[in-house]
Amino acid sequence: MLQYLVILLDDTSVAYCHAENPLKGRNLIPLETLKKAILFGMKENLMIQYVYPDYELPEEYNEVIESIDHVKIGRDVAVYNEVPKSIATENVVLRLSIADFIAKQYDIAALLPQVTRLNICLTDIESFKDDQVEDYKKALATLNAVLLNLYKSGKQPQLNILTDRLQLKEMHNCGAGDSNITLAPNGKFYLCPAFYYDEKMGISNRLNHHKPSSERSVGDLEAGLQIPNPQLLKLDHAPLCRICDAYHCNRCIWLNQKMTWDNNTPSHQQCVLAHLERNAARDLLLKLKEMGLLAGEEIKQIDYLDPFDVREQF
Amino acid sequence: MRKIITFIVTKDCQLACKYCYLVGKNTNERMSFETAKQAINYILGNENLFPNESVAFEFIGGEPFLEIDLIDKICDYIKKELYRLNHRWFNDYVFGFTTNGLNYGSEKIQRFIEKNKSHLNIGITIDGTKKKHDLNRVYKNSGKGSYDDVVKNIPLYVTQFQQANTKVTISSADIPYITESVLHLYELGIHTIHINCVFENVWKDGDDILFESQLVQLADAIIDNDLYKNHECSFFNEKIGKPLDPVLRNNNWCGSGKMLSIDAAGNFYPCTRFAQYSLRDKEAWIIGNIHDGIDKNKLRPFLTLDRCTQSTPECINCEVAEGCAWCQGENFDAAKTHTVFERATAICKMHKARVRANNYYWNKLYRKLEMEGKREEFEANKQDIKPEIC
Ligand code: SF4
Ligand code: SF4
Repeated sequence: MLQYLVILLDDTSVAYCHAENPLKGRNLIPLETLKKAILFGMKENLMIQYVYPDYELPEEYNEVIESIDHVKIGRDVAVYNEVPKSIATENVVLRLSIADFIAKQYDIAALLPQVTRLNICLTDIESFKDDQVEDYKKALATLNAVLLNLYKSGKQPQLNILTDRLQLKEMHNCGAGDSNITLAPNGKFYLCPAFYYDEKMGISNRLNHHKPSSERSVGDLEAGLQIPNPQLLKLDHAPLCRICDAYHCNRCIWLNQKMTWDNNTPSHQQCVLAHLERNAARDLLLKLKEMGLLAGEEIKQIDYLDPFDVREQF
Repeated sequence: MRKIITFIVTKDCQLACKYCYLVGKNTNERMSFETAKQAINYILGNENLFPNESVAFEFIGGEPFLEIDLIDKICDYIKKELYRLNHRWFNDYVFGFTTNGLNYGSEKIQRFIEKNKSHLNIGITIDGTKKKHDLNRVYKNSGKGSYDDVVKNIPLYVTQFQQANTKVTISSADIPYITESVLHLYELGIHTIHINCVFENVWKDGDDILFESQLVQLADAIIDNDLYKNHECSFFNEKIGKPLDPVLRNNNWCGSGKMLSIDAAGNFYPCTRFAQYSLRDKEAWIIGNIHDGIDKNKLRPFLTLDRCTQSTPECINCEVAEGCAWCQGENFDAAKTHTVFERATAICKMHKARVRANNYYWNKLYRKLEMEGKREEFEANKQDIKPEIC
């Protein structure tokens, strides 16, 4: 069920997820479009998430923006593309390459006590190599050690790639096109911001529609949402993900399209990374339980990192 | 399961059949021996990717026999390498061809057949009577029908291959000729006929009714003349037309992704239908090439496909689903998005018509056998023929 409406306020709105924003020229959403988008959100009962550019918006926008409950990505939620020395906001997205994540693991660990929630977002999942597995595991173990200490001191730390899995009993994925939809400054809907960037830049040529030149939009504010093959965005239509218990995984359909050309099928890389996180979460949970600090549901021991390798068994 | 490896050796053909799905045929894309050799080296050098016990190397076109010199060289190289590597496929390989049969009798082809006889599987495509065949299978330049030039080679073919078989494809305009065509092929000495309706959305109002009546006529002819004893027509199969359990019978129909096709440029495809020359609306689904090997991510959708995920509730709950086929390539080509998970169902009404005629066939046949006291004998001897897959 649709729950969130993500509104890109400008073409240069901050990238907060896996895909980079390649758009460099400012293109502010027209005020009328913004008003219509808010009206759409109100009627469909959607929680609004505004995505901000790095400049101040004209005053008349602020009034409209404040006319409904919302979250401001790029403001309330701060987005960093490198590890900052210190952090002022409580909710942070840290976008890093896998190599940087591994190299800066101690700096990242040092941020954990400063924030309520840290979301790590890897920006080059597609180029993850199996020979990075051990390094990634080690970085997760470093973060686990800090998380454990925070729990011991009575805190409830949140690091998406490790602690989310502790509480989840079912899949909780990105949900692009299913639980959330993105509205771009042109007044059109996209499954997520990456599909808008792709339309403007022709990044992949293979996303969502027949011809390289075709649009990636899935409706607009006038005609409403028109998502083709909406069932293929749902978990029950994803043969690998529906048998998987890496419940915290983003299950990024943008990456799916890019890597396997089908948006219900994940790549090997996405699955392996999510399973390394799942297994590290399992280690953390075992320790927390041992110490009586958390009573989460057991995470099973498994001997694969990619559900594709064991698909015949399900 | 036998691994099927297909070399698209040429995109040229002498004919321009009206139903041909190859939208991008041309005369300049011919495979070089070097490309074929590199593909073979990759395949034989990566046994872990090809764990199958046996293999079929298929050669298709266009018309593959236009490239007989190249094919002969490729086959020699395969045999030599299988032997040199002591490869398990050395004991179980076939070379397969689907040909229009026009130059079947030529000296070069005959020499090739002589040389590889025990490892060959050749199907010659004839659509039936002269009238039916010439309706579609016409020469590229003159538009003249090709029937006479093919049929002159059939006696030789039938003597060389006990398992002589042909593939017949039915499109809307062919329906009135089905009965006479099948019977004609039987008369020519071809006892096994693989016949199917095209998957594309070509069907007109009333086609299903006409189709059903043709199949009922054919059933009468086969049964009344006792042809069922030693002839086969894949339209009639006792297994089809039953509901399918969504859990126990959830497998994919089509073999794409488990096969491998290679084109003249050295690109790999999950099956030939995903090469650009076979696609109307989508870009080719290239899964790798002879230099970089297979990108396994591009195969994952194919290897995780199941029946229910790609089907609508109507198909999942269909009372006659068994035997209702699909082609992954056509599904992809016709899909609203870039996916292999959207099943095209243009064939629905034709399958239902086939099921009705098929029910008629078996009811009639069993009654006849009963009356003749031969039913038990028939049931004891009948072979378990699975509905055909591509
Ligand atoms: S780990 Fe792989 S199979 Fe599991 S939810 Fe993530 S993408 Fe899907
Ligand atoms: S296409 Fe039609 S006949 Fe085939 S399974 Fe679906 S509903 Fe049944």
